[in-house]
Amino acid sequence: MSENTITARGLRRVHGSGSHAFEAVRGIDLDIASGTIHALLGVNGAGKTSTLEVIEGLARPSAGEVRVIGMDPIANRAAVRRRTGVLLQRSGFVADLTVTETLQMWAATVTDARPVGECLTMLDLADRAGTAMRALSGGEQRRVDLACTLMGRPDVVMLDEPTTGLDPESRRQVWRLIRALRDGGATVLLTTHYLDEAEALADDLSIMRAGKIVRSGTPAQIVADHPSEISFATPPDTRLTATLPHSTNGDVTREGGRTIVHVDDLQAELATLLRWAETYDVRLDRLVARTASLESVFLAVADEDIADPDIAPTQHAAPPHELEGSVR
Amino acid sequence: MRTTELARTNTTLLMRNKLTMSYALVVPLLPLGLLLLGERGDIDAASGTIATTFLMALMFPVYYNLLSMFVSRRDELVLKRLRTGEIRDWELALSMALPGVVITVAVSILTVVVAMASGLPFPLNPVLMLLGVLMAAAAFSAFALWTASWTRTAEAAQLTSMPIVVVASLGLLRGAFPESAQPWVDLLPGAAISNLLRITWFGRAPELGSAQRFDFWATWGEALPSLAVLAAWTVVAIWVARRSMQWEPRF
Repeated sequence: MSENTITARGLRRVHGSGSHAFEAVRGIDLDIASGTIHALLGVNGAGKTSTLEVIEGLARPSAGEVRVIGMDPIANRAAVRRRTGVLLQRSGFVADLTVTETLQMWAATVTDARPVGECLTMLDLADRAGTAMRALSGGEQRRVDLACTLMGRPDVVMLDEPTTGLDPESRRQVWRLIRALRDGGATVLLTTHYLDEAEALADDLSIMRAGKIVRSGTPAQIVADHPSEISFATPPDTRLTATLPHSTNGDVTREGGRTIVHVDDLQAELATLLRWAETYDVRLDRLVARTASLESVFLAVADEDIADPDIAPTQHAAPPHELEGSVR
Repeated sequence: MRTTELARTNTTLLMRNKLTMSYALVVPLLPLGLLLLGERGDIDAASGTIATTFLMALMFPVYYNLLSMFVSRRDELVLKRLRTGEIRDWELALSMALPGVVITVAVSILTVVVAMASGLPFPLNPVLMLLGVLMAAAAFSAFALWTASWTRTAEAAQLTSMPIVVVASLGLLRGAFPESAQPWVDLLPGAAISNLLRITWFGRAPELGSAQRFDFWATWGEALPSLAVLAAWTVVAIWVARRSMQWEPRF
């Protein structure tokens, strides 16, 4: 399937007004292919939830447009809601209702709802069916929440930090469920600040920072565009280490007693570095060399100068040289 | 229909909570004891007692119950969750108002039974009386939504509900106001309810001790001003509530 289930163009969202106005989403383009899992990755406050709320039709964009299954989620509310399932980052339940009653209450609002028994089995809640919501653990409540999300057999599933607060076993279970949804043809858009979650689930991902998408692509593409890193304890003789930048093609920075070299070709540059060390008889304590990972990309993105209003362009991964200069 | 199905869950919850249930059902019925104990045949006294019962049934199961349910569900993020689904805001509000409205109708019917047991006549125009009860319930539901829009917590509702409680109750004291002020008092929801009751049940004018008697056909026209007052309050309250409605807690 190649058509896009979710698209966004020039999406902006301003919270508040006047002098308190804050632009949480600052011009986002998204294309999410049908039947894929797309992760919005970013630190807290990056604008993930604000973006998701606009796509869910819970908030109006201040500029730009969103299409979900080809429709405007606010103008075509009824048609879009019927085919989407939403999981909020935090939501609540009536504490006095049992799990079954909670699902029945939700079912009352859903067109063509999945039977409650099926939902209980799907989320492994059958043995908690008669338990009051107030007595459930956080993980169990999250699963009830997910059961509500999936009750209408949605074609599009939007999950805001689906596994935050879950124990490792529950996380794995939710991951399996999300993959099963995708394999069943659903399109999944999720937000997360867990790198392992993005790596484990996402077919495509967009890294957000300060209201913009600063990297996007498959996890492999994003990592491939990022430089590898060599680091070691900065040798005490600074006159010697001053010669290093002339010996490598990498970008050399010093931070907290460590020298960090960002390179495109790890093997060649590592060899150069070792030759340099041998020539000058430098001891490279605590030497670490590693290829880029999603984590290193993520950390590099998080470190980028927040004050700079025009960080890397949206949608396309920035060329490596732009990254290097920005890591201080 | 999803509104009535959701309303059923809300009714279950209402009945499960003994405190709210006693407020919703017992408090409105207390004034009825006066009917059984009071002097027989005094229509002015009886209509006052019945008006108090109706007002209690509007104040507790409808107004206060919807207000506290709305505010606490908002606080618990239940409303926020429900609003991500297919249900629309007005359906959500209606589903929370309906249990109280049903209780009020039930209290009204019970009031007729108790009144007849104490020797009072069957309502002259029961259809119009029921219409009046439903319109009053709509007005008090709208008041609840309006109050909820500036009530932060369920505890705060005890205080924020006071203006409506006072304004509604003042209308019942219509007879205590000087005659020149009575046309103004008639604009209060409590007075509209009391007047409607006298007209539709007993065929009597709002003025206590009035010798005027209406027949069945005359009640329709006589009730119009009071119905218009209730409708106007409802429209204004919904309009204000819609403008200032908060569906998520303010942190």
